Amino acid sequence: MNEETERVRDEFLAESQELVESLSRDLLLIDHGQKHNALDPDLVNAVFRGVHTLKGIAGMFGYGELSETAHVLEDLLDQIRLGKISLEQSTLDVLFEGVEVLQRLLGAVRGESHEVDVALFRDAVRSITSATKVATVDPLAAYDIGDDVLGVLTEYEEHRLRANAEQKNPLHRLRVRFPLSSIDSDLEAVKRRLKPVAEIITYLPSIEGSGDDAIELEVLLASRATIGELRTLAGTDAVETVRLRVPESRTVPPPRMTEDGDVFRRDSKPPQRTPTLPPAMIIPESSQRDMGAEGIAVRAVSKTVRVDITKLDHLMNLIGELGILKSSVGRVLERMGHHTEMRPISADLQRVHRSFERHLAALQDGLLDVRMVPIGQTFERLARAVRQVAREHGKEVRLVVNGGDTEIDKLIVEELIDPLLHLIRNAVGHGTELPQERLRLGKDPSAIIALNAYQKGNHVVIEVEDDGAGIDTKRVLARAVERDLVSADAARELDDHAIRQLVFLPGFSTANAVTDISGRGVGLDVVRTNIGRLGGVIDLHSTVGVGTKFTLTLPITLAIVNSLVMRVASHTFAIPLTVVQEALALSEYEQRVVDGREMITLRGQSLPIVRLASLFKLGTPPNPKAFVVVTALGQRRVGLVVDALEGQQDIVTKPLGKSLHRVRGFSGATDLGDQRVILVLDAPALLDEALENESPLAERRMTSGGTA
Amino acid sequence: MTRPRTPGLSPATLARRSESALARSEGVREYLVFRIGDDVMGLPLASVKEILKLAPITEVPRASSEVVGILSVRGRMTTILDLRRVLQLPDAPVARGARILLVEHGDEVLGLRVDSVTEVVRLLEKEIEPAVAIGGGLSEHVTGLGRPSNREGREESVIVLLDPVALLRS
Repeated sequence: MNEETERVRDEFLAESQELVESLSRDLLLIDHGQKHNALDPDLVNAVFRGVHTLKGIAGMFGYGELSETAHVLEDLLDQIRLGKISLEQSTLDVLFEGVEVLQRLLGAVRGESHEVDVALFRDAVRSITSATKVATVDPLAAYDIGDDVLGVLTEYEEHRLRANAEQKNPLHRLRVRFPLSSIDSDLEAVKRRLKPVAEIITYLPSIEGSGDDAIELEVLLASRATIGELRTLAGTDAVETVRLRVPESRTVPPPRMTEDGDVFRRDSKPPQRTPTLPPAMIIPESSQRDMGAEGIAVRAVSKTVRVDITKLDHLMNLIGELGILKSSVGRVLERMGHHTEMRPISADLQRVHRSFERHLAALQDGLLDVRMVPIGQTFERLARAVRQVAREHGKEVRLVVNGGDTEIDKLIVEELIDPLLHLIRNAVGHGTELPQERLRLGKDPSAIIALNAYQKGNHVVIEVEDDGAGIDTKRVLARAVERDLVSADAARELDDHAIRQLVFLPGFSTANAVTDISGRGVGLDVVRTNIGRLGGVIDLHSTVGVGTKFTLTLPITLAIVNSLVMRVASHTFAIPLTVVQEALALSEYEQRVVDGREMITLRGQSLPIVRLASLFKLGTPPNPKAFVVVTALGQRRVGLVVDALEGQQDIVTKPLGKSLHRVRGFSGATDLGDQRVILVLDAPALLDEALENESPLAERRMTSGGTA
Repeated sequence: MTRPRTPGLSPATLARRSESALARSEGVREYLVFRIGDDVMGLPLASVKEILKLAPITEVPRASSEVVGILSVRGRMTTILDLRRVLQLPDAPVARGARILLVEHGDEVLGLRVDSVTEVVRLLEKEIEPAVAIGGGLSEHVTGLGRPSNREGREESVIVLLDPVALLRS
């Protein structure tokens, strides 16, 4: 198996493992709920969705048996979800068995030998599904729900309605008026308030009462709370609360209903529709069914819209185009300013232009905001990995998360999961010591791994920190020399920090390396490449005996970047300002050549400089009026020498075509608006290249080709 | 000695033509004919998405030699290749009537710079000499030679018919 397929398989295993874990966790909760007669239907849904996802990814990666087993399980769960099979202990046993089978099949993928009897499990499922019974009496007949509602319910909603009816829970139709502008958040708030006492079956727009700026929703819910309580919870915008006629309606004292003033009963139909019903069960308010605060609300999901990020990119592109139009209008305005007779019109246009500019900025901010998600979601996924890896290694690890609400571009988050998972496994597997070892060292037996996130200017910094053994520079150096990553001579000149950076070299990690990822044949070089691809950098600090800290510095968004536009020979380039520290006139600094590398001294520190004209072979003579653009990512700095600075501009970086993907040094191109297309420099790649050149590691890295 | 040119052939016209009933009738193939120096060449009309007038192209340092640079085509960064170099013909100054042919290559759209676009020809099957029949000496880019029989107002010529897929594979 080559490294790539192994990596793919490992990713699949990691994701599936998480799914299976959450399945068993949810099943335990269901088990608990079932025993206490307080089952949360949302949990069943969560399990159903989890199994469905697992089926999908297993199929995608070609694990047929796994996918089929998940499919069998999914079918069973679907039947349970829709109430076609009741959830009894025997059913739960089969579900648990299913998870066990999945776990074993995953083990088999991992190469562990497990006896898996899939056929036995299938038989068990079949014995349940074949015993399916259909309810003979429709409990819904007891309620006057109305065909207008029944007709539009999904199968699942209908099932939930029926399940509540079977338990003789009172049903309500609640009409709530929402202003159009804030319906999303308002609806969410209402749902949140109602959730503890009611199960919301569905909500439908109501025909009456919806105006230009408001909309009325009819919320169908089951609850044992009083109408007054429901009204209070639903908030002041509740227009009308209707308690649907229930079997016990005859025993409900009428005064209670009328106390609520504007509440009325849809009681016009003759009562003979429900003559055979048993007398109402009087259930005290205190024993209200726990509708389940845990698990994910099915309905909550429907409030959000999942959008393919490429669609957002498309919108962002359009905003970029609008920005270009805006600058064109600006140029026309400038020209108009030269003509006295046009002044009045030009002043008018200027106002419109400014207002357009403001709205465009708001639109841009809004769209950027849509792309932003709190990093905490990712951290949660990592928390599971920590537990799991710690178990595997027999270690005790406590995860501490700080700054989970730090927001970052969705696209970056997606790409961050793998590298972070890598670092976490690394920290648990190799960073931390075993409990007995820690006790011997006088440390707390349970190690701490901290995930910290915070915003720093236009960047988000994420730290993965452990209080483990630290990275032993002697061992790193020995390995690097042994693997021929650095010559023994060059090694002598490296300081401790530089030595630790060697762990990022391709070929450093192996199955038993100091910094290897448990059982994975890939190393930190992949992590660094992936972070670099996102325009970020990774840094490493470690103190022996105290711990190790990996620091990831990432741009907040990849969409719109304020950039410095600069000229080199006849070429114009842009570089994101997020990586630019300052720009200086080269002539004011003394230039030296150290070890074949050009340097200047900036405030007492050496700064390597790279002439873009020679790096890109643009063949121009040295320019006495050149500028140095100090470019920094994390701890690494380099001065890019350019001929002129043209100014700042917000740019939308667009990718270059596939045919140019092998060209190093550019992350894309952008349209400047005056019909000019310019290339955007890929700062991480340039830093890599600049700092590699002439260094003892240069040759090795160049041949590995491991750049973004 | 100069043949009549039809510069600025609009894509819309081309599209209409490509949909013409004639094109669908059996045995007739449509080619977009263009010139590189004195060579007359053709690409299957269906393979050419659009013809652009030459616009300022941004050079990309470090790109391979046949890459002229990039051009924003309705916001999309499009790589432009010099067809002359792709075909390994000797370099020449950029012609005044130069055009860019947008051609799909996999999921990317590439631009091919040519000296001029002359016309669309319809070739009957018998007017095409397949490369295999001609034998050695032709590059792999060439699918055959088109020899439109003498029609009114047109001198006899040979059109080198190119295979867009083979052309862009390198």
